[in-house]
Amino acid sequence: MRALRGTLLSLVVLVMLLPVYAMFALSSASDATDLGGLTFDASQLGEHLSQLFGQGDFPLYLRNSMILSLGVAVLEVVFSGAAGYALAQLTFPGRRVLFTVVVGTLSLSPIVVLVPMYLVVKQLGWIDSFQGMIVPFMMSAFGVFLVRQFALSVPRELLLSARVDGAGELHIFLRVGVPLLRPALLTLFLLQFLAQWDNLLWPLVVANDPRLWPLPVGLSQLQTEYDFSIGLVSTAALVTAVPPLVLMFVLQRYYVAGLTLGGVKK
Amino acid sequence: MTLTARLDRPAPRVSGRGQRWAEARAGSLLALPAAIYFLVFWVVPFAGAVYLSFTSYDLAGLPEWTGLDNYRRMLDDPGFWNSAEVTAVFTVASVVPSIVLGLAIAVPLSKPGRLNGVLRALVLIPAAMPLVATSMVWSAIFADHGLANTLIGLVGIEPKPWLTEEGLALWALVIMTTWKHLGLFVIILTAGLQGLPSEVFEAAALDGAGPIRAFARITLPLLRRTLLFVLVIAVVGAMQSFVPAFLLTKGGPAGATEVLPLYLWATGFGFERMGYASAIAMVLLVAMLALSLVQFGVLKGGDDG
Repeated sequence: MRALRGTLLSLVVLVMLLPVYAMFALSSASDATDLGGLTFDASQLGEHLSQLFGQGDFPLYLRNSMILSLGVAVLEVVFSGAAGYALAQLTFPGRRVLFTVVVGTLSLSPIVVLVPMYLVVKQLGWIDSFQGMIVPFMMSAFGVFLVRQFALSVPRELLLSARVDGAGELHIFLRVGVPLLRPALLTLFLLQFLAQWDNLLWPLVVANDPRLWPLPVGLSQLQTEYDFSIGLVSTAALVTAVPPLVLMFVLQRYYVAGLTLGGVKK
Repeated sequence: MTLTARLDRPAPRVSGRGQRWAEARAGSLLALPAAIYFLVFWVVPFAGAVYLSFTSYDLAGLPEWTGLDNYRRMLDDPGFWNSAEVTAVFTVASVVPSIVLGLAIAVPLSKPGRLNGVLRALVLIPAAMPLVATSMVWSAIFADHGLANTLIGLVGIEPKPWLTEEGLALWALVIMTTWKHLGLFVIILTAGLQGLPSEVFEAAALDGAGPIRAFARITLPLLRRTLLFVLVIAVVGAMQSFVPAFLLTKGGPAGATEVLPLYLWATGFGFERMGYASAIAMVLLVAMLALSLVQFGVLKGGDDG
């Protein structure tokens, strides 16, 4: 019974991974009609890789995506970390208002404020710039909320004893708060990196200059260009999938923690 | 009782008022960037979206107040109704199988097993892959000579033009979306199942409850909170889905996959009708909020927790 269950389960998961394998097979396809086969040809893949990195704008898109995703993830960790900690552990004027705004923002999505957010960025003169792509997403209500929830469980006595020892508030935040918040901050880094790596809609709206296109926009263009074979496009997709997959495996514990947050009653 | 006496003593107030001042200063400093950020990029845009939805605005000049015109126009706009319907069908058709299949995989996966750790990691791979990369692979899978047609050919079904036939294209998107999100739901449901108290199941087994009975009478009710969470994120996520329709079909053929976010984007940035696009955004927001509330109401009804 148990062995049967295990075998069945493994089978289901293998079927789920078929499209992932198809990506490998397609990345070694030699021409446009070679779509249904599931054979993998490593030398063709190597050929495509050197084409992809040797000509065209793919390396540029990759670089832009790195700047965008790392920029957003780092800023998110720093600023949502600071705000979440402050909301959970410090009393300051405007605290309630800020928390109300954060909770209210949780139910909004970028698609709802797409048009006015574009107008704000245009007003700031940030169309066709990295700050125009990064700053609107440098924090998130989800991030502040996640860090706050986590920081609430930091025992007040710990902070209090640091105060008794005469440490300043910012010193306490950096030396006591940040190390204790590390799991929440890593979760946030990972989720924001992945979200930006995948962000198509916003760069599509604010980046008209192809020199600024991140991978999602660049790839959507590659796909429609006829001189790009399916093999080359699939190789591009394969390379694009590598950084998120590596990050996920390294930080899997945090990834799962982030996903299950709120869904499971503690 | 010296010990109690010591515990009862109030916590030391570190230099009283000076401490409060230091805390307020540090707190304001740490929260200031957030305050500015949320004001500029969410509060102002949200207020702007509400305002713009009552105006006509084409990016040139100033928005012109037109009252409820945008909302009235929406009532007679076949393009809007088509995309609202497409979004509704897409949401129901992708959410139901993701959750049912997710549960079917999560139940055995949450039990102890030698391979389960590995399987849990593998099941997440589709969810961790970038949506853009997976969309490109799926557009090849759904191509005329693609894997989908090869597979159905094995059981003797004629090849189908998945992405170019009106009755099929939306279902192709549904299949891809279900596949993409399944792992996510499996992991959340697995965590929920593992958090259930085992005593209840042992007691039920002693009372002679079979596995199906135990699942229906104990597992599902206890899992209600997790199911609600998964349902809400699935529905809200499906209603905002933009990338698959944009990359696989561009909303075609003949609007068959023109989901609401795609229609909104095309209205605003294709035709520069920012006021009308904002009105569509408002309707989308209200629909998402209403559905979330209904879900909370239905699933929490009669819940004492």
